[in-house]
Amino acid sequence: MSFPDDLIYSSEHTWVRLDGDIATVGITDYAQDKLDEILSVELFPVDSSVEQGEPFGVIESVKVMTELISPVSGDIISINEDLADDVVGILNSDSYDTGWMIAVELRDLGELDNLLDAETYVDYIEANEEAD
Amino acid sequence: MIPFKRFGPFENMAIDEALFRTHQKEGDPPVLRFYGWERPSVSLGYFQDAEEEIDCAYCRGKGINIVRRPTGGKAVLHGGDLAYSVIGRENAPPFSSDVVETYRIISGCIIRGLARSGIEVQIVEDGRGGSGSTEGFCFATSYKNELLAGGKKICGSAQVRARGVFLQHGSVLIDLDPLAVCAAIGKAGDAARVREIEAAVTSVREVIEGDINIGTLSRDIAAGFEEVLDIRLVEEGLSPEEEALKDRLLEDKYMRDEWNMKGWRAGRGY
Repeated sequence: MSFPDDLIYSSEHTWVRLDGDIATVGITDYAQDKLDEILSVELFPVDSSVEQGEPFGVIESVKVMTELISPVSGDIISINEDLADDVVGILNSDSYDTGWMIAVELRDLGELDNLLDAETYVDYIEANEEAD
Repeated sequence: MIPFKRFGPFENMAIDEALFRTHQKEGDPPVLRFYGWERPSVSLGYFQDAEEEIDCAYCRGKGINIVRRPTGGKAVLHGGDLAYSVIGRENAPPFSSDVVETYRIISGCIIRGLARSGIEVQIVEDGRGGSGSTEGFCFATSYKNELLAGGKKICGSAQVRARGVFLQHGSVLIDLDPLAVCAAIGKAGDAARVREIEAAVTSVREVIEGDINIGTLSRDIAAGFEEVLDIRLVEEGLSPEEEALKDRLLEDKYMRDEWNMKGWRAGRGY
């Protein structure tokens, strides 16, 4: 599993790539692995507003359906329309690049302090695995 | 535990979602609920397309209500089944943050309960089966940790997770009517599809070659949970908060065609 150092992560297993005040968001390699074969994704539409810790969509895999929890607050300025055509092929193979989900214009950059760097995120998922 | 009772399909889904949404505080005890259906109904998985999966005109003509579940998975024809739901925190014992492990734990309880009623079932150990034109129908496929009797599916389940809480609900098939299933999925009179379902799916009545009381079966499964998890279930009804949310969900979501027929495609607001 890979966890690129240039991304920041949430305990809800999403990643954030920052470009100024625009955050691109997706799910981590750990999340796609845990979900197993992903079947469908529903994302909130462009122009809707999301809050840190609140849903921005839902995702269904062969195992489970689960809410996607936003790592940031702001307005969605674009969503990855390619996921509607080939979610199965994209998310399980490349969750960090072609598998991006939403781009958000951030409302509060200070909220990023609540997120984790790659090393801390890896420690977090290892601790979770041990707890199970 | 909320003991067995029959409701309409819309109310059944509203109750399950209300239990799921209100189960937020750490320390809230897990909930086990049993229910039946006041009339034949079809439930669709969250992402399923009603027009694609179901013969909606046939269902309307027969008075079969169509309801969309808050969980994923495939279509189920209800009426001849005992439904259950389990709501709990994913990290709180006896459950697990691992989805498959939680399925396995709940399956173990149901297996023990069904054995009390003389029904021997096994867990699906690997992969998914099922093919052909009935694949949009839940019981035509079996996923890891679902339950088979004599190699045929007898219990199917689905799970949704949000904010550390899970809802798993499913159905133990008591009666199987392959002709009715085929008609509901738009394959009326298709003999090959009927055979396909008969080969893949069984029911409690077929296994025990006799009749069974659905209330007794639900109590046996409840006892299975008590034995396997070494717990004592306490019977309760919905709390006022759960009841109020159930009423709201019923009116704003589950009784609405926008949700049941189009779901998320109709836009948000659910």
